[in-house]
Amino acid sequence: MLSTLLFLILALSSLVSAGAMIYFKQPINSALSFIITLLSIAGLFALLGGSFLFLVQIIIYAGAVVTLILFIIMFLNIKEENLPHEPYKARWILFMTLLVSPFSAILISTVNSIKFAPLHLENFGSIKAVGMELFTEWILPFEMISILLLIALIGVVILAKKEKSHD
Amino acid sequence: MIDVGSFFILGILLFSIGIVGMISRRNIFVMYMSVELMLNAINLILVALSHHYEDLNGQVMAIIIIAIAAAEASIFLALFVMLFKNARSLDANFFELLKQEKHND
Repeated sequence: MLSTLLFLILALSSLVSAGAMIYFKQPINSALSFIITLLSIAGLFALLGGSFLFLVQIIIYAGAVVTLILFIIMFLNIKEENLPHEPYKARWILFMTLLVSPFSAILISTVNSIKFAPLHLENFGSIKAVGMELFTEWILPFEMISILLLIALIGVVILAKKEKSHD
Repeated sequence: MIDVGSFFILGILLFSIGIVGMISRRNIFVMYMSVELMLNAINLILVALSHHYEDLNGQVMAIIIIAIAAAEASIFLALFVMLFKNARSLDANFFELLKQEKHND
């Protein structure tokens, strides 16, 4: 009963803040409502028993990625005339919703035809279990991610460095 | 009473909102956050599957997706800073300027 109530609250807040995120004109309002979406999804991870993933979602997504977005938005000093001119934004969103909703209706009816077991609340995604899985079976993807992060670091430094003047 | 299917339906709805935001907006920050929203919806479905099968592989995949999204965020934001320096605008239509400037060198 408690898990149903928690699921309803978290699902409603994530859907409402995601809808607000794509509607706001100012990017800083979108980023702030995106934080609410991410925290609600972290709560849903905890409801599904992934306690380590709950921590990772809060620390990396809400703590690092969205903070980086907010930092860049404040650093760029965006004025009203820098924003794109979107006079038909609400009409576009309505039209795309009408276009996308049949596909999600098909997916939802497919999911509804499957019989699932009810939610059992036990913590099986503890840090030890996830770490054992990550460092035994998934060791190659783990090492490849370190190379990917190094490549991203080098790429960002090359993109952000000042260009030499050609005179 | 909720089951794993409710999490699937929520993931599908969040993914659809991400698609709608990606296509109908021209502000690059909102487009980028829509991509992140789609990644989060996929993560939610993976964790729900992991709970359904009582298998930890889904959670490990979600952790790897989060690491890739963090690498992606740095490159996206460096591109946004470059675009804003060149065009003084957040309009996604100005992304063609990056190509032209490379051509003029």
